[in-house]
Amino acid sequence: MRALTGISELDAMLRGGLMRGDVTLVVGSAGTGKTTLALQYLINGATKFNENGLYVTFEQMPAQIYRDAASFGWDIRKLEAEGKLRIVCTSPPVLVQFVEQRNPIDAIIEEVNAKRIVIDSISHLEAFIPASELRGELYRLINHLKMKELTSVFTAESHEVFGDRLVVTGVGLSFLVDCIILLRIVEIQSSLKKALTILKIRGSDHDKQLREFEITAQGIKITAPFAEYEGVLTGAPRKSWTEETARAWTKAFVGKP
Amino acid sequence: MKETGLHELTEKLIGTEIKAELLRLFHMNPGILDTVESIARRIGRMPNDVEAEISPLVELGVLRKERFGKLDVVSLNTSKDKEVQEKLATLIEGGAKG
Repeated sequence: MRALTGISELDAMLRGGLMRGDVTLVVGSAGTGKTTLALQYLINGATKFNENGLYVTFEQMPAQIYRDAASFGWDIRKLEAEGKLRIVCTSPPVLVQFVEQRNPIDAIIEEVNAKRIVIDSISHLEAFIPASELRGELYRLINHLKMKELTSVFTAESHEVFGDRLVVTGVGLSFLVDCIILLRIVEIQSSLKKALTILKIRGSDHDKQLREFEITAQGIKITAPFAEYEGVLTGAPRKSWTEETARAWTKAFVGKP
Repeated sequence: MKETGLHELTEKLIGTEIKAELLRLFHMNPGILDTVESIARRIGRMPNDVEAEISPLVELGVLRKERFGKLDVVSLNTSKDKEVQEKLATLIEGGAKG
């Protein structure tokens, strides 16, 4: 029923992992950790849960992915040699090319016996596919992956690094996917911190809190919720008006706590 | 594979700058499954120049080119590539001994 990401705190937030066969969108601006989270999901699948995976990249070259993954101690070349993981570097027109219900990556999905797939990043499709066709092509791709019983993670670029406006995608992708995980950079006491929250999961309860996370030498590590702050998603949060601060304010300005 | 001399094989594999760049690209990134146009972009060349250089590598079997709908998709034929590399090593070894 569920596909564990292997990031224990995230699995708890998801109430037991990603729903099997669903499509999850990991959205965030550059440098928020989308690729790391997506790779970790595949690496854990291959090494901990006996679920092989496929990583589809468009702009980022596999050589760079091998190198970056190695900095987390993930040996992708070894996993590829063992037939547990495959990195495919292609372009959006290839990914959405279907001939007699077959897609060019289908043979690789079957060869690897993939149960998990990452497409990094779905935003690249916008540059190659006319806007009028994009939603339809995404819908076809999502359904194709579902028919193959893959549990998919798509990454998507959010252009707003800070601010109170958030556009996930311009084509209503947020309605097509089943789960949305939002990654955001926030400024707290003059430091840049990373925040993660789950915006939606179709058909399941989920944690509603905004949590801080770090990219450690072992990958994504989610820590405490931003309990004392409000407006974290705007990128410039302020301290919450807690009972304690309310009492202090009253004492300072009214004189009677 | 047809008996090929060292000179002829190296000429076919890396006889031009673009061929050498293509082989380097595919060896470093064996998961490339892409159109000629996109591959050309990845090595900073023009599609027509790359198209001409891909053909001999496809003929040799190192690269695979498959028609998929409107697109020609190129990828590394890993087993044939390994075979060609072994052949090359044998020819170099033979040349060194001779």
